[in-house]
Amino acid sequence: MAELAQRPFPPGDYPVVVVGSGPGGLQASYFLKRLGIEHALISADPAPGGMFRRFPFFQRLLSWTKPYAPVPRDNRFYEWYDWNSLLADEADARAIMPTLMDGTSSFPSRPEMEANLAAFVERAGLRVRYECRWEATRREGDCFVLSTTDGEYRCQVAIFAVGIAEPYKPDTPGFDLIAHYADTRAAESYAGKRLFIVGKENSGFELATGLLQWAQRIVLASPRPAKLSVNTHSLLGVRARYVQPFEDQNLGGGVFILNASIDRIERAAGGGFRVLCLRSDGGAELSVDADEVIAATGFQCPLRDLQQIGVAVFGRSNLPAMTNYWESATVPGIYFAGTIGQGVAGMKKYGQPANSGAVHGARYNARTMVYHVATTHFGVELPRPEVKPDALVDLLLTEATRAPELWNQKSYLARAFSLDAGQGIRDEGIVPLAQFVDEEGGAAVAIAVETDDTGDIHPAVYVREAGRPAIESLLASNPLHDFRSTENRAQLSSLLSGASAGAIR
Amino acid sequence: MAMTQQELVDMLSSLTLFADLTRPQLEQVAHKMTEESFPVGQRILRQGFTGTGFYVILDGEVAVKIDGEERAKLAKGDFFGEMSILLGEPPVADIVTLRQLHALHLGGPELEGFLRDHPQVMYRMLKTIALRLRNASRWRS
Amino acid sequence: MPLNTHDKAAALAGVPLFAGISEDSMERLAAVAGEQAFGAGQFIVRQGQVGTGLYVILSGSVKVLRGADELAHLGAGEFFGELSVIDQQPRNASVQAAEATQVLALASWDLLGLLESDPQLALNMIKGLVARVRSAGEQHRH
Repeated sequence: MAELAQRPFPPGDYPVVVVGSGPGGLQASYFLKRLGIEHALISADPAPGGMFRRFPFFQRLLSWTKPYAPVPRDNRFYEWYDWNSLLADEADARAIMPTLMDGTSSFPSRPEMEANLAAFVERAGLRVRYECRWEATRREGDCFVLSTTDGEYRCQVAIFAVGIAEPYKPDTPGFDLIAHYADTRAAESYAGKRLFIVGKENSGFELATGLLQWAQRIVLASPRPAKLSVNTHSLLGVRARYVQPFEDQNLGGGVFILNASIDRIERAAGGGFRVLCLRSDGGAELSVDADEVIAATGFQCPLRDLQQIGVAVFGRSNLPAMTNYWESATVPGIYFAGTIGQGVAGMKKYGQPANSGAVHGARYNARTMVYHVATTHFGVELPRPEVKPDALVDLLLTEATRAPELWNQKSYLARAFSLDAGQGIRDEGIVPLAQFVDEEGGAAVAIAVETDDTGDIHPAVYVREAGRPAIESLLASNPLHDFRSTENRAQLSSLLSGASAGAIR
Repeated sequence: MAMTQQELVDMLSSLTLFADLTRPQLEQVAHKMTEESFPVGQRILRQGFTGTGFYVILDGEVAVKIDGEERAKLAKGDFFGEMSILLGEPPVADIVTLRQLHALHLGGPELEGFLRDHPQVMYRMLKTIALRLRNASRWRS
Repeated sequence: MPLNTHDKAAALAGVPLFAGISEDSMERLAAVAGEQAFGAGQFIVRQGQVGTGLYVILSGSVKVLRGADELAHLGAGEFFGELSVIDQQPRNASVQAAEATQVLALASWDLLGLLESDPQLALNMIKGLVARVRSAGEQHRH
């Protein structure tokens, strides 16, 4: 009993409860604390890090942190070069990642990332109630009641940063007999084995690449051909560092990459498994024997009973349907932080998604989300510094040239300024672009960074006249991505003079 | 309720646009397009904006609005976005969600390739657009 | 002067509707395309008639009419009549030669067969239709 009392955030009433101690939960908690909003941060894990306590198994992260960048580390603009540190205002809590990397790569290893997040908790002074597992949820009047292994938490606002790390296996016969990617053991334990990996996305190829020198034979199978990021010219699809299994297959080294669906998996007499496949071209049956079968069939969002209290979900990852502020579209007061934010598609221009699923996008989403929670639920007034009219054009173009939020979340987050004649020009900070362009508010302007279908990166300006939705104007790009050109200045000035007769003269 | 891949493929098979596809072809479609969800009152296509995507409605309802005036409603099985993409011009209408929307999305640059790979879908699209043209021509000035 | 198959294929190839079509498809179309000539004022198709195919304008120009309303004016390289090919409904407008006009007529059954096997043709047709829907919609706003 005494132990329970010493851990922070005992069960009880809090204005906000944050569930999860991965990057999403930690970042949300940081900004709640910064704004002075009392909240409990609880986690089922014994320590911080979320998915980075376990994944990836065999590889460095796919997100970079460049220790040597054109910008000093204590500068906000350095964030563009460091995709793994969480955001903080305190000097010793920001840009932690580069201080923990050994210099052999610009991609941190999993343990380095885990240490980064643990250091953040300590240096930002966050408190977490570990080993407190959220189990059930209900509503009581205006409150949410979260039942946990330690007792009940009541709150006005609940933020779920529970990740998308609940292993998913299809219920095809035999899948209950085999391991999931999440259960992968040390590489040496697969020495000499015939391996069958179901799934040809990043997790499947990560295993194949990591076990290439250990397994006797590796078969990868899924109905559709693998999408490779080098073909999609984006971060979508299997990443470049995982193509070695393809090379191995082409040279006949013992890797077989099949387009086939799994009909069923059976135990083979004498040990191991027999996988019965149906080839995608023609439907012929193929039987493959393997010592180990691993389902790299993805993950789902562990939303427990949230659907029962009305949270709508969609998609094969079981994501919640959300508003532009990452609030449940069907149950106001429930918010999501971290990788779950990828369920908010935003404008997705030319089919290019934002980086909401990764730390370098989710950290900004968390900040904007917490600011929204603060202003709408708790009456917090955020500073909206006034900007001099003759400084606005330069400010907008500098943001487009350097703002890490805009570069990490292209066509998704924007820097906005309101242009109300009475109040002058006010800095509204970083806003969700889809929200800005659709809300019919006061006169305002927002700038974002966008890429078109030719790969050209350029600023986009959205000007909104009072009471009308925003109008898009694209500005000129630049080979060195410095958008502060005379041409852009002139175009921006003329766009602004139209919309804001009162605020700018 | 989030659908499994099988349930998604089942649903696609019930839509007119995909009525001529075999099961493996439906699975290809499901693989190439992504599921997205939009809350009420959200614009999915925006008049005058670049970068439009192609959408097929799985559940929910949207209104087609020009200059704020509602012209039509679209629901399950309907598609939109193709006009802007194929013409290479921004949309002339807004498409706004009237109810929570669940849709499949394909990036604009991928539409032409997708239609070439699935001529039966293109043919169904052709028929729907022909019908729109007939209806458009019936509007009174 | 009557055109031979080769000339017809060349004439068709210049029409945006057939841009990028395989040579094989072009040959097949040209082989079955019928040449027709109309004097100024003559009707090429009439509203309400059962449509039998689409027309490509080789030279001259036409007016697209519904009753007394002139909906459009089309010239060389443009096409009309495709709607009936796709949906087999009666013609929704009349088309009248505005001057001496030569057309190539392509029968529905020949075209339909090709649409389903030549994705490029279907794509071109969709783009043509989409452009028309947009301009029909814009007309409505005036």
